[in-house]
Amino acid sequence: MAVAVAVPWARPSTGPGREAARIVDGACVRGWLTEVAGSLEAERDYLTQLDAAIGDADHGINMHRGFTAVMRRVGDLDAATPGMLLKTAGRTFVSTVGGAAEPLYGTAFLAAGEILDDGDTFGPRRLLEALRASLEGVQRIGAASEGDKTMVDALAPALAAYDLELRTGGSLETAVRAAREAASDGARATVPMQARKGRASYLGPRSVGHQDPGATSTSLMFAALERAVLADRTQRFAAGARSRGSRP
Amino acid sequence: MIQSVGRAARILKALGSESARLGVTELAERLGLAKATVHGLLRTLEAHQFVQQDLETGKYRLGPALLQLGNAFLDNHELRARSLLWAETLAGRAGEAVHVGVLYGPNVLLVHHVFRPDNSVQILQVGASIPWHACALGKAIVAYLEPEGRHELLAGPLPRLTGRTLTTRGALGAELDRVLDGGVAVEDQEAIVGEAGVAAALFDNRGAVVGAIGLAGPVERLLPDGPAADAVAAVKEAARGLSRELGAGRLATPGAGA
Repeated sequence: MAVAVAVPWARPSTGPGREAARIVDGACVRGWLTEVAGSLEAERDYLTQLDAAIGDADHGINMHRGFTAVMRRVGDLDAATPGMLLKTAGRTFVSTVGGAAEPLYGTAFLAAGEILDDGDTFGPRRLLEALRASLEGVQRIGAASEGDKTMVDALAPALAAYDLELRTGGSLETAVRAAREAASDGARATVPMQARKGRASYLGPRSVGHQDPGATSTSLMFAALERAVLADRTQRFAAGARSRGSRP
Repeated sequence: MIQSVGRAARILKALGSESARLGVTELAERLGLAKATVHGLLRTLEAHQFVQQDLETGKYRLGPALLQLGNAFLDNHELRARSLLWAETLAGRAGEAVHVGVLYGPNVLLVHHVFRPDNSVQILQVGASIPWHACALGKAIVAYLEPEGRHELLAGPLPRLTGRTLTTRGALGAELDRVLDGGVAVEDQEAIVGEAGVAAALFDNRGAVVGAIGLAGPVERLLPDGPAADAVAAVKEAARGLSRELGAGRLATPGAGA
């Protein structure tokens, strides 16, 4: 398939030594959702085990079921904008998943989708706004702050790391890597925390010593985002090389 | 206060707050006590099987005697014993999980939990402690407390657990009045996102509130469009039956005749 992309590196660079802002399109977002679905399938039992220690033992099952439905629905959309894809994911989540994952992740995807609206592509800055809208949506519903042992403990540091990386001259690739690292560190940092939100908070001090399943599924999503962005770049390189090579 | 009993209690709480095991040095540091003191206390607790020493690492963890005490607490809990049958019946009728709780300070302590009868994996919540203002059980109980008790709880801390938790005295006071009018308390994702509850208070032979029984489940099933009428009816019936068994007069259920 000839992907008629406005090859980013063909555009003038925005500053000395800086790559032009990479853009993300529907194909890349679709790739991300596919990566998330695969990762939730692979880690379903792990997430459920984490949830059995401090929750209701259904997080892995709920997330897997939700994303299976998301992929079915997204597969039915032919040419969809990134915003449309995320909004579809959010709505599907709300209608198929049980437990706390449904309103929280549903809102996160919907809020991000609203920000991306119906543009065909978006740049790294726009992604930052989308992530910020997700975090705000999650906090509005769950009233959780960092340190409460929830998905916010992965999402908030990921957002901060992504932001910092972009501010300090990083590219989309390095920013999503920083986000993935921060989300994963954030999820691990929930182990010694005592839960202050969600079912785990009922356990009081007994919630200490277990990794939060919600923070863990959030960190899986950032890992999937990095993989999707890198795969997308590789594809673009190949496409770019082909189009350059075929030039007379 | 007997100092050594207090110290022993602090050791047990410290061991109970960590899933990891603790050594004598760690415990001494954490409690600000001399190692020899902690060691002596641990040896005594070990003799009574309240703590156990790991043979490989030398570290301590809670012992099996505590489980027996915890079970004895639940077994001797009259409300729990009496509620077994009613809770089972309610769960079967409504197809949802059932919680029975008592007020313990500003929290509801779950003394009984019947799983949702659908063969799914569920985790026993007995022993869980939920802030009263965020759950149906708590609101059902506090609505029927004497005015002083109600005021005291309304004046205490009302932490926000979700975006929907009621955290002001005004909103909660109005909510408690609604409980008195309708005879049931409703929880709409106020404790856990996605989870709802419908509960009614339980009364003893003096007509005093002693706890609450209720359904707990996904909000879309329990509150499809406000509380499901059959769920409300089932909860009220179970509460009335159980109260009667606890000695509350047949017609003397407070609120029922109002």
